[in-house]
Amino acid sequence: MTMIRVTAYENPKSIEEATTFLAKDTYVPIAGGTDVILELRNGMPVKLLDINNLKLNHVTSNKDNIEIGAACTHTQLASNPIVSQFVPLVGIAAGKVGSKQIRNRGTIGGNIVNASPCADTIPALLIYDAELVLLSKKGRRIARLDEFITSPYATIKRNDELLHSIICKKNNKTGYSYLKLGRRQAVNISRMTISVALDIDDDNAVIDACISAGSVFPVPSRMKDLEKFLRGEKIKPKLFKEAGKLAVDLMIKHSGYRWSTPYKEPVLAGLIERALMQASKGIVQDN
Amino acid sequence: MKLDFVLNNKRVSINVKGGLRLIDLLREQLDLVGTKEGCGKGECGACTVLLDGKPVCSCLILASQVRNREVTTIEGLSIEGEMHPAQEAFTETGAVQCGFCSPGLLLSTVALLNENPEPSREQIRRALSGNLCRCTGYEKIFEAVELASRRINGLSVQNDKV
Ligand SMILES: Cc1cc2nc3c(=O)[nH]c(=O)nc-3n(C[C@H](O)[C@H](O)[C@H](O)COP(=O)(O)OP(=O)(O)OC[C@H]3O[C@@H](n4cnc5c(N)ncnc54)[C@H](O)[C@@H]3O)c2cc1C
Ligand code: FES
Ligand code: FES
Repeated sequence: MTMIRVTAYENPKSIEEATTFLAKDTYVPIAGGTDVILELRNGMPVKLLDINNLKLNHVTSNKDNIEIGAACTHTQLASNPIVSQFVPLVGIAAGKVGSKQIRNRGTIGGNIVNASPCADTIPALLIYDAELVLLSKKGRRIARLDEFITSPYATIKRNDELLHSIICKKNNKTGYSYLKLGRRQAVNISRMTISVALDIDDDNAVIDACISAGSVFPVPSRMKDLEKFLRGEKIKPKLFKEAGKLAVDLMIKHSGYRWSTPYKEPVLAGLIERALMQASKGIVQDN
Repeated sequence: MKLDFVLNNKRVSINVKGGLRLIDLLREQLDLVGTKEGCGKGECGACTVLLDGKPVCSCLILASQVRNREVTTIEGLSIEGEMHPAQEAFTETGAVQCGFCSPGLLLSTVALLNENPEPSREQIRRALSGNLCRCTGYEKIFEAVELASRRINGLSVQNDKV
């Protein structure tokens, strides 16, 4: 029997109540628990704060933004019509997390706060310039997702803060692609993901490109240099091949040359090329 | 800590420790040993139960998290002593060998068929991909799900005519 040492388990019904607990004492928030329960096994005793009854499982849309509640499960996001219309890469990424059992429990908020280099929803959210709404007794603050994670498994969130929601900017593009490469089809902590959104004009030139990668850099990141390289270029197969090479250079520049680099080089180049090709055809890829 | 929830259609009220996992509550405190623990890490699906009808890993959920919700284990699948059509189909097609994975697979199957009574092979494969089986090579399992699907739909067609 595996025992997790829990000295208090609080089940607040309102955000006010939850942030009061967090201000008073050190609590570990628990959403789906798919990351946190494994971490706590045979660990130090903790106080848990269940965030599942705070009504944080909303998806709403206004003129410019989509707001996603932190407690939305991957299952919910994978089939949400607002998500698939306005932030399709987020829905596809959520649909590729782990297995059905994991998607039924795991939340987008947990995925972000856990801040694993291979968290699948983060690269997809980066495409939409996502911002995070953090709440505490001291008030509300907004953090940019691309500044939230400081190193693998570390974020700027204070212990007294709760992740309330994620705000994504609507950015209609002509094509999208999300590719995930994992060791096994269903259950894996993904080894590499590529998210691409392309905007192409009638002359087949790239107006705008947004590209991000998971498990390529120490934290999931946009590839701004690659985006700049593509902007204004005419689409041709050679362009995407060159983009693949440039992505590899960026990986080595930012992550250093590691034992895994020779394996990752051709894989990354190939994925970037394929993702760009698909996005240039307007496909929202679900491989 | 007092915990109230519905287990296999019956109300349960029980004292639990805050850090108790659902699988330990089921197996150790309630003697429902049909739910198996394989990896204990969310990877094999042997511990699958239904939470409000949806498959989840009982090794990755605390008992405290099922408060006021509905849990179904393999013991709750048969109705008045009759096997669920999926259970019959699994035994008939030889989808059960050592049987360790079977309770979890059956619950994932039942959840799938409730949501989608006529799943394609690909949909079956995807829905069951969180349940590992070392023995069967999956082919017999997929056949069993398809058989169960045909029977369930056949039955409901007859009922509709009555
Ligand atoms: C078998 C298996 C396969 C997996 N496969 C994948 C995969 O393919 N891709 C992937 O990206 N991940 C995968 N994961 C990891 C995990 O399922 C996801 O990261 C999931 O989204 C975590 O969400 P959760 O709600 O379960 O988080 P929890 O475990 O509840 O929490 C995770 C962390 O976030 C904190 N937290 C959660 N919510 C809040 C909040 N609202 N405010 C403040 N802090 C909060 C918790 O305190 C904790 O530190 C897998 C896990 C398992 C066990
Ligand atoms: S025992 Fe729970 S998934 Fe393996
Ligand atoms: S029958 Fe033995 S693991 Fe599936």
